[in-house]
Amino acid sequence: MKKALALALVALPVSVFAATPDAPHHIDVTKLPDQARLIDNVVVPVPSEIFGVLDKLGLRPGDWVAVQRPISGVIHPTGEQPQIALLLGTVIAEGFVAVEARDSAQVKQVGKSVLSLSTALDVNDAIKPRALAITQAADKKDWAKVREELDHALEDVKKAMIRLNSESLSQLVSLGGWIRGTEALTAVVGNNYTKDGAELLHQPVLLEYFKTRLDGLKPKEKSNPVVTRVQNGVRDIRPLIGLADGVDVSEKSVREINGITSDLVKSINSKVP
Amino acid sequence: MKRFVPLVLVLLSFSLGICPAHATIDDALSFALEAADPYVKEGFTVREDYWGGDLPVKTTKAIVHQLFKGNEYWFWMGTDQKAAKISVHIYDSAGNLAETESWQKPHFAAARVVPKKTGSYYLIVEVEKSPDERTFWSLAYGFK
Repeated sequence: MKKALALALVALPVSVFAATPDAPHHIDVTKLPDQARLIDNVVVPVPSEIFGVLDKLGLRPGDWVAVQRPISGVIHPTGEQPQIALLLGTVIAEGFVAVEARDSAQVKQVGKSVLSLSTALDVNDAIKPRALAITQAADKKDWAKVREELDHALEDVKKAMIRLNSESLSQLVSLGGWIRGTEALTAVVGNNYTKDGAELLHQPVLLEYFKTRLDGLKPKEKSNPVVTRVQNGVRDIRPLIGLADGVDVSEKSVREINGITSDLVKSINSKVP
Repeated sequence: MKRFVPLVLVLLSFSLGICPAHATIDDALSFALEAADPYVKEGFTVREDYWGGDLPVKTTKAIVHQLFKGNEYWFWMGTDQKAAKISVHIYDSAGNLAETESWQKPHFAAARVVPKKTGSYYLIVEVEKSPDERTFWSLAYGFK
């Protein structure tokens, strides 16, 4: 399948469902075959899905200015390919934070840095039109368009990497974005804790998915010290995001997740892993 | 020698079952995206990623997917088999039907959900009727 993400797809016995023309009001998810809960090909939400919710929570640009990690100049590749892939993900996520902060200068720095990092990963041809569109939209302060182009940039980079047989690196781009996005989210939510805001962190499927993908990396990629730290970080975050449904993500957990993701972002940006 | 290479590649791709499967899942996706089209005008952003495969009649598949409270989602399912009857339904992690509406038409099925909680949801897709032994399907989604 070219792009069919058949993760977590499992044949279910028809008997699980009532044989009525209408959908049954309840299914017993504990009786689904074990494979139904395996996470293989999860569709990772694009950052806009989360930032769209944050818009509705009434956060102000000033809330985001405080959590920006300003980029001075252009970010250049650091370390080996897995680290560069993680770094690219964090930079794209920084673009979303800059959009929330209504900071067009930073958005443009993000566009240039995305181009620099994607060149190092051999996917710059795929990203050039997006980087240009991001810059143009930032000039016009068309924030919805910037966000849309950042989403597309992330997807284009991943597709280009898959074409180059670098699917594992494409997952690291997603993960890098998730780590920086989560760092920013926990900082904002931590500064003004609400259960609704913290609930956005309840992402057990994604954490399980990232863990599975990290476990499946090639030995050479796994031995990268930054990747090892990320693997440990994901392991430590999993119990904090509320593995069971209906469990609130506490203020303490939000702070702990922020500490872990903050350390990871520093590692990913570090020249000496 | 050069002119044999394309032939070898074509034969190889058929022997691997690549071309027919791609063509048909892509066709199913085209229908799913056609179903999505009116909702784009309502402000829904359609994801490029999608799920797909083929199913025998009366067989379902479950897809576990993360949804966020505060968003509204539509899931659109398509098939290239006009005579098939397909369905998609959405359940929360406790197994309760979570969708607020759903519909079925030839080639299409869709379901809408406004999640009450952020977390994991089960998307249950089914081929209810079809003249084919296995029916290709595809599922796309959008949010706003």
